[in-house]
Amino acid sequence: MTLAVRGSWFAVRCAFVVLLLCGRAFADAAAPPDVLVSRQLLAKAHLKVGDVVTLSGDSAGSRARRFRVAGVYEPTPDPMKFNAERIEARLHLDDMLALTEDPADPSTSDAVSVINVTLPNAADQSSARTFSRSLSARTPFVVSAATADADNATFVVIDRFHTAIAAVTVIGSTAFLLALMVIRAEERKETVGVLRLIGISRKTIMTEVVVEGLLVAVAGAAAGVLIAAAAQGAVNRFFQHRYDTTLIFMRVSPKIALRSIAVAVPVGVVAGAVASWTLLRRGASSLVRR
Amino acid sequence: MTAFALAWRTARRYRARAVLAVVGVAVIGALNFDMLMLSRGLLLSFATMINSTGYDIRVAGASTLPLSRSPLTDATTLMNEVAALPEVDAVALIRTAGAVLAAPGRPPEGAELIGSTDPAGLGIWKQATGGDLTSAPNGATASAVISRPLAVRLGLSAGSTISVRVRIVDSLSAMPPVTLRVAGIAEFPFESQQASIVATTMDGFKAAYGGVLNDEASFMFARSRPPAGAEAAADAINRLRTDIHAFSNEQVIANFGRNAFTYFRQISVVLSATTAAFSMLLVATLLTVSVNQRLGEVAALRALGISRRRIASTLLWEAALLVGIGGVLALPLGELLATVLDKILRRMPGLPSGLHFFIFERNALVLHAAVLAVTAVVAAMYPVWLAVHLPIAQTLRQEVS
Repeated sequence: MTLAVRGSWFAVRCAFVVLLLCGRAFADAAAPPDVLVSRQLLAKAHLKVGDVVTLSGDSAGSRARRFRVAGVYEPTPDPMKFNAERIEARLHLDDMLALTEDPADPSTSDAVSVINVTLPNAADQSSARTFSRSLSARTPFVVSAATADADNATFVVIDRFHTAIAAVTVIGSTAFLLALMVIRAEERKETVGVLRLIGISRKTIMTEVVVEGLLVAVAGAAAGVLIAAAAQGAVNRFFQHRYDTTLIFMRVSPKIALRSIAVAVPVGVVAGAVASWTLLRRGASSLVRR
Repeated sequence: MTAFALAWRTARRYRARAVLAVVGVAVIGALNFDMLMLSRGLLLSFATMINSTGYDIRVAGASTLPLSRSPLTDATTLMNEVAALPEVDAVALIRTAGAVLAAPGRPPEGAELIGSTDPAGLGIWKQATGGDLTSAPNGATASAVISRPLAVRLGLSAGSTISVRVRIVDSLSAMPPVTLRVAGIAEFPFESQQASIVATTMDGFKAAYGGVLNDEASFMFARSRPPAGAEAAADAINRLRTDIHAFSNEQVIANFGRNAFTYFRQISVVLSATTAAFSMLLVATLLTVSVNQRLGEVAALRALGISRRRIASTLLWEAALLVGIGGVLALPLGELLATVLDKILRRMPGLPSGLHFFIFERNALVLHAAVLAVTAVVAAMYPVWLAVHLPIAQTLRQEVS
C-alpha cells in the first residue's frame, strides 16, 4: 500500500512511503518509534492502535523500518484535497528523513520540503508579506509565500463562479417577480382607480405599493435564508459522506444572509414599483372602466 | 378556434406578463442548460484532448494513477521492448523537470523542462509557429519548443536562444545553465494556460543535467496498431514488467471521470434540479394567478359550451408556449452564459489550457428539452384542475356581482 507521509510539526517533508506489513507479530520486538495514522488509513489497512507496521521509502521496500501505531488522527480538512483519499501517516521528522534519505547524497538527510514560520504578530498579513519578500530576496533558491496568499486562487475562482450563477438566478427571478407583480397590479386595477377617484394621490398609492413590495421582499429573503440554513446540514452531510471528510461545504453565515437580503430587497421594491407604475400612469377613469 | 390559437391570443392579450414569463424561463432555462453541459463538459473536453494526441496508450509507474508522473526506471530498455511488441506501432518517452530560465535584464523565471523522444511532440504540444525538434541542424545547439505565454513574456521567437538551468529537487546541488535554440512556439494543452514550458529532445534534456542522467522517464506514450487495438496493446505492455501500468485512453478517461472534478458534476446536478424545480414553481404560480384572474372568462367559455378538455388543452398550450419559447431562447443565452462561466472557471490555477468546463452535446439538448416539457406539463396541472372544476353558475354570479 502506498501512502503519503508527513514529518512532524516544525518541518514537513512529503514522500511516498510503502506500508509493507502490519500486525501484532512484531509487538514483542524492541520498541519501535511511534507513528500516527489517519482514520482512513486505519480503516483501509485494518489497523489498530498498538499494531506494528513496516514502512519503506520506495516500492522496492529498501531500508524498511518498523513503527508502532501510537494513535489515529483526523486529517485537517483541506479543500485542495477533498477529492483525494487521505491515506496518510505522520512520523517524527528524524524518522522520516532516515526512511527517505538517499545514502549516495548526504544532503538528502538534511532537506525538507516546507518550513512553516510563525511571526510574532501573526495576525498582520502585511508583515508576513514583507517577511516573505525579504526572505525571497536574500535566498534566491527558496520560494516563500504568506499563508494568506498561498493556494487560495482556486477558491477565488470558485467564489466568482458561484457569484455569477447567483447573479443569473437573480435576473431570472426578477423577471418572474415582475410578471407576478404585473398580474397582481392588474388584479387591483379597479381598487387603485377608486382610490384615485376619491382623491388619494399617486405618490401615496405608489408608497403603499413600494412598502408592500419591501415587506414581501424581506419576508421572501428571510424565508430563503431559513430554507438555506435548514438545507446546509443535509448538503454538508451528503458531501462529507461522499468524500469522507469533515470539510464544511456550505455555511450560511450572517454575512451571506445579509448579502442575500440586501440583493432581494431592492429587487422586490423595484419590481413592485415598476408594476404599479403601469397602472398609475393611466387616468383614474380608465382604471375603473369595465 | 383551436386550443393553441386561443392560448396564443391569451398570451398576446396579456403581453407584458407573457414576455416577462418568457424572459424568466429563458434565463433560468439558460442556467439549467449550462448545468447540463457542465455535468459532462470536463469529461468530454478531456476525452477530446487525450484522443487528439496521436497516441492511445499511456504508461506510468505501477503504484500510481494514470495521469500522475511516477518515474519509469530502465526507460530505454522498456521503450525498446514496447516498440518491439507486434501490437504497438510507435512509442515516445517523456521526462520532466523543474527549471529556471535566465534572461538578460529579467529576474529568473520558473519553467517546466520537458524532454521527449518524439521530435514532433505528439501528445505533448501542438505546433503554432516555427518548427519542431527535428529542425535542429546536426551538431548545432539543442533546439527547444516553448509555450506561447513564455514566448510572449520574454519576447522570444523562432531562432532566439534561451538559457535554462534545471532545479535539483531534495538536494542543495545546482546545475550550470545550458543554451537552447528556440525552434518553434506551441500550445501545450495539458499544461496550465500561463505555464512556462520548454520542450527539448532527450539529448537536450540530458545536457541540462550536465550529460549525466539516470535512465528514467516520467511517463511513456504508445500507439497501438489498428488490428490489435489499444486495450490489447495495453495488456501486452502490462505483461512486460510488474512495476509499470499501461492504460488505454478509454481507461484514462474513465479514471478521470471517476476521480477528477466530481465536485462540478455534483454541483451541476444539484443546480440543474434546483433550477428545474424553481422554473416549474414559478410557471405554475404565474399560470395559477393568471387563471384565478380569468375565472369569469373561463366560466363564460364553459357556459358557451366549450368542453373541459378544450379549456385544459388551452391552458396546457399556454404553459407550453411560455416554457417552449423561453426554452428555445435559453439555448443561445445558455451558450453565451457558458462562455462567460467557462472563462471564469478556466482561471483556476494549474488547469490544463485545453480543458473546458462547458461542452455542447446532443444529449444535453435532449435532456434540456425533456426537463422543459416536464416543467410545462407539471406547471399546468394545478391551473388546469382549477379551471376544469370551476362551478360555472356560481363563478358567473360572483363575476356579475
